[in-house]
Amino acid sequence: MKKDAKTVLKDNTMVIVLVLVYLFFTIATKGSMFLPMQFNALITQNAYVFILACGMLMCILTGGNIDLSCGSFVCTLGAIGGYLMVIKGWSAGLSIVALLVISIIYGCILGYLIAYVDVPPWIATLAGYLAFRGLGTQILSSNSSTGSIAPFPETFVDLFSGKIFSTKLGVFNIPCMAVGIIAVILFAFFSFRDRANRVKKGYDADSIGFVTAKVVAIGAVILLFAYKLAMAGGIPTVLIWAAVIVLLFDFITSKTTIGRHFYVVGGNKEAARLSGINTRMVMFAAYLNMAVITGITTFTVMARFQAANSTAGTNYEMDAISACFVGGASAYGGSGTVPGMLVGALLIGVINLGMSLMGIDANLQKVVKGVVLLGAVAFDIISKKNSK
Amino acid sequence: MNKTAIQFLKKNTMTLALVIVIVFFAVGTGGKILLPQNINNLFSQNGYVFILATGMLLCILTGGNIDLSVGSVVCFCGGIGAVMMDKGVSGVIAFIVMMLVGTGIGVFQGFWIAYMNVPPFIVTLAGMYAFRGLSNVVLNGFSIGVRDQAFLNVFGGGADCYVPDFIGHGSSLNITCMLAGIIAVAVLIVMNVRTWISRKVKGYTSSTAVSEVVKLVILSAVILYVTWNLSRYKGIPTVLIWILATILIYHYITQKTAIGRYLYAVGGNRKATELSGVNTKNVFFIAYVNMGFLTGLAGVLTLARAMQGNPTFGQGYEMDAIAACFIGGASAYGGIGTIPQMFIGAILLGVINQGMSIMGVSSNYQSVVKGIVLLIAVMFDVISKKKE
Repeated sequence: MKKDAKTVLKDNTMVIVLVLVYLFFTIATKGSMFLPMQFNALITQNAYVFILACGMLMCILTGGNIDLSCGSFVCTLGAIGGYLMVIKGWSAGLSIVALLVISIIYGCILGYLIAYVDVPPWIATLAGYLAFRGLGTQILSSNSSTGSIAPFPETFVDLFSGKIFSTKLGVFNIPCMAVGIIAVILFAFFSFRDRANRVKKGYDADSIGFVTAKVVAIGAVILLFAYKLAMAGGIPTVLIWAAVIVLLFDFITSKTTIGRHFYVVGGNKEAARLSGINTRMVMFAAYLNMAVITGITTFTVMARFQAANSTAGTNYEMDAISACFVGGASAYGGSGTVPGMLVGALLIGVINLGMSLMGIDANLQKVVKGVVLLGAVAFDIISKKNSK
Repeated sequence: MNKTAIQFLKKNTMTLALVIVIVFFAVGTGGKILLPQNINNLFSQNGYVFILATGMLLCILTGGNIDLSVGSVVCFCGGIGAVMMDKGVSGVIAFIVMMLVGTGIGVFQGFWIAYMNVPPFIVTLAGMYAFRGLSNVVLNGFSIGVRDQAFLNVFGGGADCYVPDFIGHGSSLNITCMLAGIIAVAVLIVMNVRTWISRKVKGYTSSTAVSEVVKLVILSAVILYVTWNLSRYKGIPTVLIWILATILIYHYITQKTAIGRYLYAVGGNRKATELSGVNTKNVFFIAYVNMGFLTGLAGVLTLARAMQGNPTFGQGYEMDAIAACFIGGASAYGGIGTIPQMFIGAILLGVINQGMSIMGVSSNYQSVVKGIVLLIAVMFDVISKKKE
């Protein structure tokens, strides 16, 4: 049992780091960090990282390949969206379809170049990084004297930002709490069923005590979030989008054949190819998927800022990549999970939010962010190394 | 003969691309790009790219590892130098301190990468954030001018940063510069003929005498053309001496020394290299320490060129350096790439930038074109190598 506790700690170093960092900022900000408003901010400010990092993780899994173009592509797509909706007056639905089609076309081109022409992903996406920033800025500056296009139609904004069943700040929001409770019940049900299945099939399974403890811990976090969000006016719409995408990718990566193929290709490409996996198809799928995910990210970002401008999406690629690596994805591919990525993204989000709340100078914030990024990953690697 | 011609073209695709691009811009700008002043600017404006790309190439050789922090570190080193000289410290001491700071940062990052196994991407991303923030702290958010004339002259800033004409004394043609070009050509011919003869004597396979002569004639013509144009302007810009010294020294290191070959070996197959008794950790460490050292030098050159330290300097430098290496045919997976090819890549990038500026292309379209050229250059290379 004692050894169990030790391995559990080793496997969850990042979660522990996250809790410690959170506690630190809660104390340092004299509890501001624990206010309902900040829970809301944590979700709405970082939703783009959660969504984008799902796509990035799939690319990284195939062998540490990344997509540098996503931030710039957000800018270009936003500019096109602004042009269609604000200047041309297209309906929100039609514009969304158009933008998704553009994403798919870009994804196909990118995927084709990387998977079938063998252009290194670094180069292909570095080219996109340069080209789309210029293209986006050009579209904006030739259509608007201020270099930004606004305001977006309300139907569009409501679809990707704002709150569901919103109530006033401080008034307890019952639907939000109800969703939280249902989520906990579902999580408990699936966890226990999963364990029962494993036991029945004779696989290794965690002890019943451990599963219970995990359900209680994660359940408590979900309930805390639900309560805080309920006090902050309800469920942010963007949380629904982020949750659906995160759950979908967690399912794909852990339960489906195509999901496992990503890990196999990243683990050993040649072996994967020889065992009959179409490795080119997997690479193609990773980058096509990334482009579509970038499209969805763009919708949430445009809705949040209610405008398209030339700085939109700057450094998003770095945020998404950091979230994956901090969350334990290997820079050489083949390992990394969606829940891990989520912890990584939350850690970065908590650090950013905490430092803004403390009123730390923006320059020192960058320094701290760098130090924490390095420290967190080094801590994780060293603790895993010692356990071997 | 036909077969060897095709092989020759394949080996020199990038050089060919460079020639085509130069011809295109010579026509597009009505010959302006070939004016002595613009040939001079090609080196003066891109000094940092050559220096940084040299360091970056060594990192890339070890396995496609990159350094994202160089832009921020250039800014940080420049900031320290500017503040020191502003406080009245001599240029020599400031130079030494800047180089030490750059190297020190290299040691720090190399330690985490080589000995703690933290992915280079994370370590240098952390550095990118941290040193950008610290540059702001050092400079207090302001730009600080450099007035030390000797410092500016030696490192390529201001109006007098040219090697004085010892021989010609004010004649319209800079005789010193022309003489240097002629000596360079003579040395080149002697060295090449000697290598060729010694290869023949030892019975190695070596190129035919005809192709050797053609190569030498073309190279000599290029050198003489460039020096002739520089002579007609103000002579040899001091920054060119730093560039050439760096390029030649590192070309020698990568081709002729044991440590240089280790870089290729580690990038080609790390496990095999380790098993043949090379301390691969030390190789990684050296690659990143060296990157820090050269980043320090790039910081010095950038500071001198701009004649001030500014907290926004160096943004995007890492991308320029990486792009130069990849355009020059370095493999994104390590083990392949040479300094002369990187040099061609950097020049190609510089010519495109300059050509578009002279043609008055808007900066937005410039980045679009840069992205597309990067992609086409690499695709060209990948496809032509694949067909073999």
